[in-house]
Amino acid sequence: MAAHFDTEYQRLEASYSDSPPGEENLLVHVPDGNKSPWHHIENLDLFFQRVYNLHQKNGFTCMLLGEVFELVQLLFVVGFTVFLANCVDYDILFANKFVNHTDSSKVTLPDAFLPVDVCSTSIRDNVAVMFVLMISGVFWLHRLIKFIYNVCCYWEIRSFYTNALKMSMAELPYFTWQEVQARIVEIQKEHQICIHKKELTELDIYHRILRFKNYMVAMVNKSLLPVRFRPPLLGESVFYTRGLKYNFELIFFWGPGSLFESEWSLKPQYKRGGNRLELADKLASRILWIGIANLLLCPVVLVWQILYAFFSYTEVIKREPGSLGARCWSLYGRCYLRHFNELDHELMSRLSKGYKASSRYMNCFLSSLLTVVAKNVAFFAGSLLAVLIALTIYDEDVLAVEHVLSSITLLGVCITVCRSFIPDKHLVYCPEQLLRVILAHIHYMPDHWQGNAHRYETRDQFSQLFQYKAVFILEELISPLVTPFILIFSLRRKSLEIIDFFRNFTVEVVGVGDTCSFAQMDIRQHGHPAWMSEGKTEASIYQQAEDGKTELSLMHFAITNPQWQPPTETTHFISQLKERVQREATGDRHTLTSLSGSEPRSLIANFLAGPPSLASLHLGRDGSLTNHGPVGVSDGASALRSLSVSSMRGSCSSAHRSAGHASSASRAMAGSSTDARTASSGSSVWEGQLTSLVLSEYASTEMSIHALYIHELHKQQSGGELSRHTWHRQDSDDSSDSVTEEGGSGGGNTNPRNPIPRSHTFPISTPISTPGPIPSSNSGPNPDRGSTPGQEVAPLQSNSQRRYGGNTDSVGPGGRVVRSARVPMGGWAEEGRGGRHPDTVPEGSEDDMPHNIHKVT
Amino acid sequence: MNCRSEALEVSVEGRQVDEAMLALLHTILLHRSTGKFHYKKEGTYSIGTVGTQDIDCDFIDFSFVRVSSDELDRAIRKAVGEFKDAMGNGTDGMGQISLEFYQKKKSRWPFSDECIPWEVWSIKVNVVNLANEQERQICREKVGEKLGEKVINIVEVINRHEYLPKMPTQSEVDNVFDTSLKDVQPYLYKINFQITDTLGTSVSTTMRRLIKDTLAL
Repeated sequence: MAAHFDTEYQRLEASYSDSPPGEENLLVHVPDGNKSPWHHIENLDLFFQRVYNLHQKNGFTCMLLGEVFELVQLLFVVGFTVFLANCVDYDILFANKFVNHTDSSKVTLPDAFLPVDVCSTSIRDNVAVMFVLMISGVFWLHRLIKFIYNVCCYWEIRSFYTNALKMSMAELPYFTWQEVQARIVEIQKEHQICIHKKELTELDIYHRILRFKNYMVAMVNKSLLPVRFRPPLLGESVFYTRGLKYNFELIFFWGPGSLFESEWSLKPQYKRGGNRLELADKLASRILWIGIANLLLCPVVLVWQILYAFFSYTEVIKREPGSLGARCWSLYGRCYLRHFNELDHELMSRLSKGYKASSRYMNCFLSSLLTVVAKNVAFFAGSLLAVLIALTIYDEDVLAVEHVLSSITLLGVCITVCRSFIPDKHLVYCPEQLLRVILAHIHYMPDHWQGNAHRYETRDQFSQLFQYKAVFILEELISPLVTPFILIFSLRRKSLEIIDFFRNFTVEVVGVGDTCSFAQMDIRQHGHPAWMSEGKTEASIYQQAEDGKTELSLMHFAITNPQWQPPTETTHFISQLKERVQREATGDRHTLTSLSGSEPRSLIANFLAGPPSLASLHLGRDGSLTNHGPVGVSDGASALRSLSVSSMRGSCSSAHRSAGHASSASRAMAGSSTDARTASSGSSVWEGQLTSLVLSEYASTEMSIHALYIHELHKQQSGGELSRHTWHRQDSDDSSDSVTEEGGSGGGNTNPRNPIPRSHTFPISTPISTPGPIPSSNSGPNPDRGSTPGQEVAPLQSNSQRRYGGNTDSVGPGGRVVRSARVPMGGWAEEGRGGRHPDTVPEGSEDDMPHNIHKVT
Repeated sequence: MNCRSEALEVSVEGRQVDEAMLALLHTILLHRSTGKFHYKKEGTYSIGTVGTQDIDCDFIDFSFVRVSSDELDRAIRKAVGEFKDAMGNGTDGMGQISLEFYQKKKSRWPFSDECIPWEVWSIKVNVVNLANEQERQICREKVGEKLGEKVINIVEVINRHEYLPKMPTQSEVDNVFDTSLKDVQPYLYKINFQITDTLGTSVSTTMRRLIKDTLAL
């Protein structure tokens, strides 16, 4: 009888006539119920963004507290300013007027305050103050509502973390984003967060979090956004501030009437080419209106910026006046240097690693004229200061003399400023080398910088990416005044290009929605023939991403997300590149002993050596790296040490020794794996943290190598015609004529490209090529770890296993993958301990190692 | 975004509009309805039966199967009637009617319940004008054939093994199914329609988005 009921749609006469709906006759179902509230989330973009934010802000409590304080700070800024302006009797404070106290002669602070009623009337009478108060009141209320709304939303995310991802808030700071992401991918299978697909990929999550950022990166890459200007006196300069960025986003992505109708979809009319002119007109008029609104709001924003800057920076300037001379990565730089699909924390850690080298590079260019002046000013100011201080020490009544305290402060500031213009006597700079180190971290730079590192033009252009903090603050301050004009006069003219851009470079991905097509990182669609993807790319010049962005982004994403399974063609590209880097790295160890005669094809040797004259850097046969160079080179060494992936692993520890960083590293590595285990078994949290941290360090080092390699290859390929790439591409069509030349030079290249099938032999050929160098390099520092050579081979095998499905039997990795993955963990954890030392971080990388670990853990 | 969307397109004559729409909507709903659930104490339930009915069209050479529930039929007819009125009796015209399946999600106090769509069927209608009786006759057959194809399309889509809301417990049954009907229990659905030229989003949704965006800044 029950068999009749296997479809739910029929009416079965038989059962009806037999018995009235008697329950025992019917098929009984058990509801699965919606036990988890996390299935089928409506707005996944927002959801993932919040998950990411909560992770970056280290948990719910931290975030809550931070936001509360921000609100309080806002109230304080406004309140305190009004109070200072209206309620303080400055005459009393400056002792121009005497207080008629009878009992004591001392003036107390409360004496200087005006009585409440006087104060409030003066506030009420002052229209401007009332205006400011009202504006800030509205603003504050808005923030408050937003805050409450956010708390509700993030509370939900918090329960998502604890219930679905099984991570408590206390542990959250110890998980890396990659781990969180892996769990999200896992729970998708169970909860179906996204209903389009059975399984989420890492790329989907990145796409959703970075949807708009990817567009911005692409627009900067294609020089679409008007951020470069030629003001009459300053020469070419970049102006890109937070206010401007906010306006761009408002116009394109979320403001009223923007191009996107929701977080995930471009309005359909913008996808059709038919009425592009009309749409461009519409966009232009919208930009005009937003520009005018900006102009009207400009006083309010300006006042706000000034107040905010005053309160947030005066304290810092007082504490360390040198900080104004310090530099920071400019907003434009962050956009220019960002890979597609790179999250904030990944970008920031990369840029922070490059910070030291970058500031050192910029310091190479201290003007000698300024130095002379600064030296003398510092001398005079210093002698005055010395006298004043000496007098004060003798008798502190000196301080009571008018303006003595203030002149001491001023002189101190003056000396600090001057000192920042005087270079350290004991430093030796080599800009070329430094620039290379910088490139290892920032991954992008215009072609013509190479070999021109010593020139002022290069420095000026680099300073657009890496600007003075003071300049940054200044730009933020004038931003409200300039932004409306940029919108009205520059951006409006580009409206047609913008419309075209969004139409041409938006693809709809199932389960993700409309994304920037560059962010797909498809070599075929957007590869640039001059950047390794020659022959694979079918992109027209308009479609090519500049500066090898597609290729580098792809490598970056594949390295940071080793679990990601790219489409086959992309896999080819990645594995081919990895193989080449690997081969060069291992093969060239033999040639490295004689660095000077580096043939053009040994690229790694080439960039290890740099310009031969500069290289006071020897990589001995025993794998020990010694540098005699003073500071400039030592920094170069620290990055270069991490360069040649496999061969350097062994040499790392001795490099540590010679660089004087973690002198005990080698001993620690060799001996105390037991220590590591006992230490880590103590708290599993820390172990996980350690491993993932070490892994991410390996990944970033690996990425540095690949970036350098790709740049080097690009340089060789494009040979003499480097100059065709101008730093500023007004129009991407500039390079239209160069494609054929490019093809020619690529063909006649001294470094012939491997045919693609080559990568099929990868698993077999690599063990043959690797054994030479690897055991020797490994056995040096790690004599007691017999299985270390397995480290080298295993990743390759596991790689082949993963990517080439069937042919794993050639080397029979089976159990070995697991074992060798297990064994190094102790060693790595050990290294990771050393790795926590900031300077030793980028050392020693293992190609592909992350695969293994992720598989095991 | 987190919802599937399927699109169908038909060209019909003015008087065929409601029958064509009814045919398609009913076909979809036939596959998206179950019998009434009868919950028992142990948390299990049994499913009631659903009858089906063949309907012949007057203006199209076509007949379709629908759930034999007059209440459901009335609801759909009402929506289609409104759609047709909105199209006007004008000659040429384009419109779009969409059938959206959603589930409700209870949320905490400050927010109202969310309706999260999981599948949207949008049917685009082109109304054509025919000159004479002969053309009408041809059209009658052609539209019948086309509708047959569409029905097969629909069945193909529905046969794919894709996300459906999970079967709810008794307390949650209202979040997934429309339990207001006596004899049948379709998934919660909404029928919206748009007439071309007013394809832009409505003012209220724009406002709502604006507020949400400002909050989410």
